[in-house]
Amino acid sequence: MMWNDFFVNILEDGFFAAIAAIGFSSISNTPRRAYLTCALIAAVGHAIRYVLTLPELGGLHIIPASTVASFSIGMFAVLFASRIKCPAEVCFFPALLPMIPGMYAYRTIEALLSCLYHTREEVFSHYFYLFAFNGLTCAFIILGMVVGATIPVFLLKKLSFTATR
Amino acid sequence: MAEAFGVNLDIFIMPAHVTVSVWNTDRAHAEMSQRKTASCGISFDMNTRLSQLSWEVADNSLGLPAAVEHFERIKATKPTGKWEVLILTSFANAAFCRLFGGDLFAMLIVLVSTLAGYRLKQIMLEDGRDIRLTFLCVSFFSASISAGGHIFNIGSTPELALGTSVLYLIPGVPYINSVSDMIYRHYLCAFSRFLDAVVLTACLSAGLCAGMLILGLKWF
Repeated sequence: MMWNDFFVNILEDGFFAAIAAIGFSSISNTPRRAYLTCALIAAVGHAIRYVLTLPELGGLHIIPASTVASFSIGMFAVLFASRIKCPAEVCFFPALLPMIPGMYAYRTIEALLSCLYHTREEVFSHYFYLFAFNGLTCAFIILGMVVGATIPVFLLKKLSFTATR
Repeated sequence: MAEAFGVNLDIFIMPAHVTVSVWNTDRAHAEMSQRKTASCGISFDMNTRLSQLSWEVADNSLGLPAAVEHFERIKATKPTGKWEVLILTSFANAAFCRLFGGDLFAMLIVLVSTLAGYRLKQIMLEDGRDIRLTFLCVSFFSASISAGGHIFNIGSTPELALGTSVLYLIPGVPYINSVSDMIYRHYLCAFSRFLDAVVLTACLSAGLCAGMLILGLKWF
């Protein structure tokens, strides 16, 4: 991959993640003054995950990659929260939303429905494998994300709890 | 905040109720109250204002009547405008489609299907319909619209348009909250939120599958 393409792809990934973060967070009534900060944090976090999962750079598995990206989201959220007078959670929740494994989540249910629909053992086993694979991946990505984003809140306890002071 | 009022307190949080016990520092008098939690949806704006109120009480010794008055004002906080949310969510889902590798046509299809689907969600929820039924109908509606790309062979990634068209319905915040509760050892609350989110995901998935089944598309 050319270095030029590489940087364009990272910027593109960050840009679209930022739009996704603003839109999805608006559903949960995020204060308007937090939009820009959330968008920037989401862009950095998603771009970090994108880089970590690139096959050319080692191709880290999506679960540890999401955890590392979420840790950076948590760090930035704690550092920037006091500037916009919002709790750190208000910054990192919207920024985490573009990384929620939605496709894995609904594919788990689709695979479960397919399991019930097919009674032949090998077909059932295939869909049961898809059910378990998608479900476990989804659960552990979310677990990694929340643990990753919460660690900075505890590491910088004073800063994160006094953000709205 | 409790310290500023000269009392101690403990909060016991259950999925639909909250119990608050307050006692004075010499433990001579105690009060306990249990209430059903209000179903006002998720509002980070209210969270922020409540957090600011707690610091105002702690730092500026805001009295109880003034704090209660402030609290009532917070309760009346207006949610984000519905047209603003509709447009932002539609663009967000189109951007999400791009993140999965969708082309411009797929993004446009997702934009239109999200606009239509999210508007239907707003109408159904305003009418007081059950949230699970709403998710089922809305995902069916969005999936059916975006399946047009697949049926009429529009663009090079119609399958991505179909796959991402319902992602705006994934209850991301309840999933994150559920794990967050688990970290703080509120296991009952964590389990309750997780089940709520799973039921909504199952409804949206069923709507998507129904749409694909009726239009004769394979889902794996």
